[in-house]
Amino acid sequence: MFKYGGYAGQILDVDLTRGKSVAKPFDENLAREYLGGAGFCSRVLYDEIGPRTRPLGPENVLVITTGPLTGTLFPQASRHVVAAKSPLTDIWGEAHAAGHWGPELKFAGFDAIIVRGRSPKPVYIWVEDGKAELRSARHLWGKDVYETDAALREEVGDGWSAKMLYIGQAGENLVRFAAVMNDLDRASARTGMGTVMGSKRLKAVAVRGSKDIPIADEKKYVKLMDELHAKMLADPFTQGRADYGTPSLVELMNEIGRLPTRNYQTGVFEHAEAIGGKIIRQRYLVKPRADFACLQRCGRYTCVPEGPYAYIGGGPEYETLSCVGSKCSIGNIKSILYAHHLCNRYGMDTCSFGSTIAWAMECYERGILTKKDTGGLDLTWGNHEAMVELVRMIAFREGFGDLLAEGSYRAARKVGKGAEKYVMAIKKQELAGQDGRAQKSMGLGNATAARGADHLYAFPVLDEVGFEKAIKERFSARYLPEIGQKLNPKYKGLMVKECEDFAVVVESVGICKYGTMIPPTFYYRDVLRALNATTGMKLTERELRRIGERIVNLNRMFNVRHGIRRKDDTLPERLLKEPSPDGPPKGHVVELDYMLDDYYRLRGWDLKTGLPTLKKLRSLGLGFTVKHLPGRRRK
Amino acid sequence: MPYLYCDAMKCTGCRICELYCAFIREHALNPKKARLRVERREPAFDKAIACRQCADPPCAKVCPTDAIVRNPKTEIVLVDEKKCIGCGACVEACPFGAIWLHPDRKKAIKCDLCKQCIPRCPTGALWVETSEGSAAKRRLRLVESWRPVMLERIQVPGK
Repeated sequence: MFKYGGYAGQILDVDLTRGKSVAKPFDENLAREYLGGAGFCSRVLYDEIGPRTRPLGPENVLVITTGPLTGTLFPQASRHVVAAKSPLTDIWGEAHAAGHWGPELKFAGFDAIIVRGRSPKPVYIWVEDGKAELRSARHLWGKDVYETDAALREEVGDGWSAKMLYIGQAGENLVRFAAVMNDLDRASARTGMGTVMGSKRLKAVAVRGSKDIPIADEKKYVKLMDELHAKMLADPFTQGRADYGTPSLVELMNEIGRLPTRNYQTGVFEHAEAIGGKIIRQRYLVKPRADFACLQRCGRYTCVPEGPYAYIGGGPEYETLSCVGSKCSIGNIKSILYAHHLCNRYGMDTCSFGSTIAWAMECYERGILTKKDTGGLDLTWGNHEAMVELVRMIAFREGFGDLLAEGSYRAARKVGKGAEKYVMAIKKQELAGQDGRAQKSMGLGNATAARGADHLYAFPVLDEVGFEKAIKERFSARYLPEIGQKLNPKYKGLMVKECEDFAVVVESVGICKYGTMIPPTFYYRDVLRALNATTGMKLTERELRRIGERIVNLNRMFNVRHGIRRKDDTLPERLLKEPSPDGPPKGHVVELDYMLDDYYRLRGWDLKTGLPTLKKLRSLGLGFTVKHLPGRRRK
Repeated sequence: MPYLYCDAMKCTGCRICELYCAFIREHALNPKKARLRVERREPAFDKAIACRQCADPPCAKVCPTDAIVRNPKTEIVLVDEKKCIGCGACVEACPFGAIWLHPDRKKAIKCDLCKQCIPRCPTGALWVETSEGSAAKRRLRLVESWRPVMLERIQVPGK
């Protein structure tokens, strides 16, 4: 038995090149220092891969992992993490998803799967109650996610009790922003983790289990969980989430001038209401659907009953509506819903997909791209037919889609002619639906995130609509009112630093950012109580905070080894130099340097280079990374 | 006969009922040890399924050791685990698929209407229902739909 509750206590180590898999015990110290999930990935990948690893080479290592709370009764304990070196950013790659797959992996007796090498032929992994086998996936290769799901279910039997994780054709065809999908419509979308899976010729991982997740403090457990459930349900945000999901953010973001429109030319979209939460609820929502142990049920199940865009399946999040919709000036909601569905079937990140098309549309507007380049496609703003056409063209790398399948950063370098200027990406990854000019903390958070442009690494949302109570609780009242003002750069370094540390803890224990970051229901104290009752680790809040800081610093050191410095923690020129033209942020740019200084100072990183200091690394127990600081002799 | 009912339109498929059931009744965080199961089908169908506490339970009829007995007072069907030999005949006999063997003990387990899951369902999709009650509700709904027609014909004070 593993020392701590909450863990299955075993890791599945798969070598695809040799076609072998072996179960290994979970390292107790690793659990105590990094918990699991994102933290587990940060340490394993730091030790196993580095600057010489080619993201799509067999030497890259793909880690799929859960946290100690995944599969338990903690509200929204449904999460798993996928990490590897990213083929999109060439640095730290990581993506997360909810669903029922992560919990099932633990019921099957494993906390994590480490995938190495490259299979000579397409395979899938079948995991059941502590055992694993590699099976041929030749008949699944070329199938989309929905088809793969159905075929796998036939094969493993017992209907829906088995849970599936897979790639679609985008991953097989090495589209650089392919997603790892699970439970049909859940996506570990960002940084091309599906591309890595495709490069390894791993089509799917199917799991089924009937094992217990041990709980350390059985006596207190039910009472504590009842208390946390009641707290979650009592939050006024919960009902709104259940009613509208994240699509209602479209209207909210538009109101505060933060809805990226026409590739960030503005933050106010004239057709926002046509693609927002209200209309989706009124016309296309079938019902809200929850992932494992989720009380908030923000998952939308949607349907367009007829016409060229007919489908039934999972609905889009805010990020998709903004990236595929407003960024491309598309106000035709059915086309966005359908494109989202197709992206899920082919297994593709809707953020990078929509943003890359928005970039191409701006190049088309400026004459940098013409019909000659696009193979006759008319990329005028708002042309939803061309956008929908491009989903398939990108997933299968057909014609002009082959160029866009490289992502906007690489595509722009190939096109030249000043196309780079309109790339809205950071560290080669496209921004999601966030305009930092309208919310300064989001600007900073995107610049510092380890996986390139990423609103979720820090997910600073407390200043979005003014959560004063939570700000007082989390940062202290003395930073008010400035810290709560979204257009004021003051104290945003503090906000982003603290949010990053907490967010990686959230991703390491296997719970959701909804309920922790927004609404800000649970903070360190509640997570700690659940973690200790579940695992019996007897951690203190100080130790838990230190774990968060440790993981952020280790991710930073992973990137430092790949040459990332302060110069890379930046934003596209448009957000730094072109003032926002409309709405409340009119006239604003992102005061990035001011906020970065603040942030580095609080992080204990060098202001000039952005490198973690020796002292900081040692104080966090990261002495083993010191040899990788530039200017240090290698052992 | 009272039984645990789940409204499929309210059920989101979160499986919180399974987890609580397994933990409270079996001291294990393991949905396979729960006495109800949440089934998910596409498109958009989620529903927890539990024993209907039948008046003439087929599981009891086929049990070779008479381990399954319906208590006529409480109208609840119970399994005597001491008598159960884990043959699985009841599992095959149940038309609802609402009884199964405990994965470790290999004894038949089923819902005995302890009601622990009901207040813990976040959407209120679970409640105790009887077929009679369900029929009465349906009759009332039908009569309610005639209200406008009735109101045209009768005098209501204050109207």
